[in-house]
Amino acid sequence: MSRQKGYWSFRLKDYGTGYLFMLPWAIGFSAFVGFPVGWSLFNSFNNVRLTNDGFKYEWVGLENFRRVLTEDNIYPIQLLTYFQEMLLIIPLILIFSFFVSLLLNQRLPGRSLIRAIFFLPVIFATGQVLMELFGQGAGKLPFIAQYNLDGVIREFVGPRIAEPLLNVLSKAVIILWYSGVQILIFIAGYQTISRSVYEAIRIDGATPWESFWKITLPGMIPFIGLNAIFTVVDLFTFPFNPVMYTVRDNMFRPQTGYGYASAQAWMYFLLILFLLGAVLWITYRSVIKRGGFR
Amino acid sequence: MRITEGYYQVKMNIRQYMQSRQAGRVKKVLLGQNLNDGWLAKVLIYFLLAVIAFLYLQPLFYMMSTMVKSVSDLIDPVVQWIPRKLHGQNLADAWRGLHYPEAFTNTLVIALSCSLLQVISCAITGYALARLRFPGKAAAFILIIITFMVPPQITIIPMYTIFGKLGWLNTPLVFIIPAMFAQGLRGALFIIIFRQFFLTQPKALEEAAKMDGASAYRLFFRIMLPLARPAIIVVFLFSFIWYWNMYYEPSMFLNKEFLPLSLRLNLMQQELMGNSAINFNAGVGKDPISEGPKMAAAFLIILPPLIIYTFTQRWFSEGIERTGLVE
Repeated sequence: MSRQKGYWSFRLKDYGTGYLFMLPWAIGFSAFVGFPVGWSLFNSFNNVRLTNDGFKYEWVGLENFRRVLTEDNIYPIQLLTYFQEMLLIIPLILIFSFFVSLLLNQRLPGRSLIRAIFFLPVIFATGQVLMELFGQGAGKLPFIAQYNLDGVIREFVGPRIAEPLLNVLSKAVIILWYSGVQILIFIAGYQTISRSVYEAIRIDGATPWESFWKITLPGMIPFIGLNAIFTVVDLFTFPFNPVMYTVRDNMFRPQTGYGYASAQAWMYFLLILFLLGAVLWITYRSVIKRGGFR
Repeated sequence: MRITEGYYQVKMNIRQYMQSRQAGRVKKVLLGQNLNDGWLAKVLIYFLLAVIAFLYLQPLFYMMSTMVKSVSDLIDPVVQWIPRKLHGQNLADAWRGLHYPEAFTNTLVIALSCSLLQVISCAITGYALARLRFPGKAAAFILIIITFMVPPQITIIPMYTIFGKLGWLNTPLVFIIPAMFAQGLRGALFIIIFRQFFLTQPKALEEAAKMDGASAYRLFFRIMLPLARPAIIVVFLFSFIWYWNMYYEPSMFLNKEFLPLSLRLNLMQQELMGNSAINFNAGVGKDPISEGPKMAAAFLIILPPLIIYTFTQRWFSEGIERTGLVE
């Protein structure tokens, strides 16, 4: 009996330390994340009006969501276009950063200098400064205008394919500048594949081409998943994206109000969660197939 | 007859040469044993890297060259990269327009204090998640991952109201207090980085310390935290730079007082747009009168992170490899 008691008091002390370490986070989470998120969820089911003595709530249930889906003729379309664009851009960012990190991973003289240049986006990509530069057109790919690639592409592949292609090319800058952290993560990922595996496969007579497909790529799948998640979060919580602008504008417009804007923001959030779930599921499946999750 | 014979001779010579050892050496130098150590591959890799590096550096060069151009140089289509003479007026204008010393101090106070606090609070949380045992740990971890994904628009108005009630608006407290409680800018990501780092550390160290009678707090502050140096450096640098560059949050919370550099840049831009009565092709965004000062201002803003970066870039690239973020 007393032994049992001793065990429990030990356990409680043990747990107590854990909770004490988690305490700052728990306070912060409930005050700065849990409460605001809960409040905005509550708002999305209400008609919120700002009066002199604070917020006035009027419970409307799912009315706000219904209005966003059926009456709003801008937001759903904007949301869908943005998602389409992102579905195109995210794989491109991943491929680009994978490719660049492969190049940077080679043993080259002057590698540290080259790496320093390639991590520059980590510094700027979040800033107002970058927006400013793009506003000035400094971020455009120089060779597109120089060689009149627009016209060439239009002529060769026909307008239907040319349109999305050019769209992506004009976004090339975003792809370039939003792959800084991803390149870092990929390079770190290469270090986890041990050198002896490559040696072994070379002795067995595999070409570098084969060793890339058989060793490097499968070994990198968890990092591709990690990067996909990071890219999704990075691009979707980016405050300057058009969807966010609409939500922000609606917050301060009296006809729509904060409740309506919250409903919009929540639909957006649910879509992101859905996308992330898909990414996680795909990564998980492809890792399982290899046998084992790290 | 003779011609065909001669031709045959030459052909044989070539074939012999191709099979000789010398040719093998040439081939090895050009193509290499691996895909990546031949000269041909190296030249190709360097070429590709140079092209991409140019794309990265181009905006920076553009900024620096526009910064020292006078208006006449900017209008002149002949002048592309190198201005006719160095023009310092833009920098002086930007210095005044940004209220540089004041805005610089504001930004520095926010970025430095928040990133330091964030390092400590996130390290504590990450350690708890990696090493301590308590019920509800998995749930807490999931909540942290979800925190990372919440778009700022969802929480910004409730936060604004809360901060307004507390009277923190337009003071640096709006950033310092959340950072203190591990909820700063991308705090969730940093918690995950610390968690991954502590997971990679050997358990024997802790057991030994516990055996010697160290309490959990002593163990953490005396042993684990000093060990976490690579993770601390990475988190601090990222945190500092993200706080330095943030725009959206201060535009909501700090719009009257304590303006950081990013907001000053925006204000300056509006001022310049308003003042220049002759607005050349407005809407396109390229306006020769305001372009110089704007680029100078942008340069002044990125200069401090750039200086820090030149000294610490080794840690950026190597630190991440060592944090075990990727285990």
